[in-house]
Amino acid sequence: MPMTSAPEEHLRLEGIGVSFGAVNVIPSLDLSVRKGEMVAFLGPSGCGKTTTLRIIAGLNKPSRGQIKVGGRDITQLPIHDRDMGMVFQSYALFPHMNVARNVAFGLQMRNVPAREAETRATQALEMVQLGHLAHRKPKELSGGQQQRVALARALVIEPSILLLDEPLSNLDAKLRDEMRVQIRALQQQSGITAVFVTHDQVEALSMCDRVVVMRGGQVEQFGTPTEVYERPATAFVANFVGRTNRLKGTVTSEGTLTAAGQQLRSATTLAPGAVDILVRPHRIRLQETGEAANKVEGTVSSITFIGDLVQYAVRVGGGEIVVEEATRRDRSPLAVGDGVTLGWSAEDTLVYPAGEK
Amino acid sequence: MSAVPALPRPARQWRDGELAVLLLLPIALINAIGFILPVLNLARYSFNKSRIGGGMEAVFTWENWAGLLSDPFYLELVFNSVWISLAITLTTLVVSYPIALYLHRASGSWRTFLTVLVISPLLTSAVVRTYGWIAILTDDGPVVSAIKAVGLPAPSLMFNIKGVFIGLTEILMPYMILALMAGFGRLDPRVEEAARTLGATPARTFTKVILPLTLPGIALGCLLCFVLAVSSFITPKLMGGGRVFLLATEIYDQAIVTLNWPLASTLSILVLIVFGAALWAYSAVLRRLD
Repeated sequence: MPMTSAPEEHLRLEGIGVSFGAVNVIPSLDLSVRKGEMVAFLGPSGCGKTTTLRIIAGLNKPSRGQIKVGGRDITQLPIHDRDMGMVFQSYALFPHMNVARNVAFGLQMRNVPAREAETRATQALEMVQLGHLAHRKPKELSGGQQQRVALARALVIEPSILLLDEPLSNLDAKLRDEMRVQIRALQQQSGITAVFVTHDQVEALSMCDRVVVMRGGQVEQFGTPTEVYERPATAFVANFVGRTNRLKGTVTSEGTLTAAGQQLRSATTLAPGAVDILVRPHRIRLQETGEAANKVEGTVSSITFIGDLVQYAVRVGGGEIVVEEATRRDRSPLAVGDGVTLGWSAEDTLVYPAGEK
Repeated sequence: MSAVPALPRPARQWRDGELAVLLLLPIALINAIGFILPVLNLARYSFNKSRIGGGMEAVFTWENWAGLLSDPFYLELVFNSVWISLAITLTTLVVSYPIALYLHRASGSWRTFLTVLVISPLLTSAVVRTYGWIAILTDDGPVVSAIKAVGLPAPSLMFNIKGVFIGLTEILMPYMILALMAGFGRLDPRVEEAARTLGATPARTFTKVILPLTLPGIALGCLLCFVLAVSSFITPKLMGGGRVFLLATEIYDQAIVTLNWPLASTLSILVLIVFGAALWAYSAVLRRLD
């Protein structure tokens, strides 16, 4: 997507904190979301991502800090005046209303004339390809259909921010893929600013312009999917986003990195001391023949066939490295016990101070 | 025969229908002997002729029914009973609803504690509770004294319909609260939150979402309390001081005091018809909700 000169800031969290008694669930959170972008809050359960979303919606009250939308402080604004469209994990459709009335509800609350509300609700339903189900009750719909109704209901009011709370978690895998594409397309068409809460890194990376990786109520990294994946700010981010091999190593006072009895090269400048070394399994070549910054000899100790991928566990001096390779037929398959030479580039050696989780 | 490992074969295979009949038989028998037969007997009595002194003549006459339906006293009695019971039911609903909603939302041991508190009056007999109310509402009781102390004219709250109203409302509240809570199953906090984020004020969230979703509970509670109100006898008898005439008290008087069993039976069957109407109204409401 082409970037315009200076994207306008739309949503801003300043020093948002949540405490329950003496427990600081969220110490202090600062965040800035640009107009029209879709930002993912990504993290394990209990990292505060849903709480933060609910604070934006007004459903939870922060213990401190400010929320600003378009420069205006909305921290004290009641939920119904915040103009947010929220999509819940459990859909939360009104069971006593049919689909059309569910979608028209927000318009009705804004005192939009009945006829106009009906027209706009119909258009919103067409947008999610559910026009033909307008007169059904929610319970007569499948999970995916219900979630699309919930999406139409949130979008029809043309909210200032669209908030999505794990919207795909209750759907089966295939439907989830379809919905991912559809939600992203709708968000881009309408140009709406969206915040998407998920624990699924694939959703976060594939759907969103930027990703906030959260942990223990704090932001570990805020960046584009590529940045978060290729240049994880912390070992936690590297572990949480994508799969990694973890090796224990040391950096000498001269700045050389050693692990598994071998010298390794990294693109980052290193401070001396104990370090954790992370390498992504699919960035490692199994039979390195040419020049590589990192070359490690090993023996294949187990092979797992996953379909489009094959995972090789390779025993190297003092540890094990997992290598992933796309299934291929251009060479005879490796067998357990085969000797291999692993190779990867310096950029793929991610080094973090030891002990960081 | 399949090659399934030999399981001990049941002596006889019951078909589903047969099994259902078999399982329902005990309760059907108990109901037939303990409920349907006596009611039929009562219906039969309503066509008997009463004799002075309490006897009955086993004839078939419409006298009781004709007399009942043409006597303004009894017509008013039926009308009053139904009307007062409806009013009591509605009052009970209004005072119980917030409690039930709060209980539904409460959680953990606090909720358990409050629920026990709500149910605990049911562990005391209605007679005792009624005497309690008499002590509270009587002319020199705390309520009237307090009103007098403020300088307002002293109301008469006992031995009239006001006392019956207050007493019955309190006595029916636990039933109403339990019925409401049983019917609050569809009330999902997320749905309320959805309404709020879509721009509904708390008041509109209540009228557009919470209230419609709790209608099944309301219907159930109202049916239950209406039936209990119409058939309540001890509270109107004691708190009405013999000056409040309702269907249940009149049946008691006719059966025990006047010894006019045919008339008492006729009134009883009439109460049953009223209940039938209430049940019909309830199922009509439920059908509409679906």
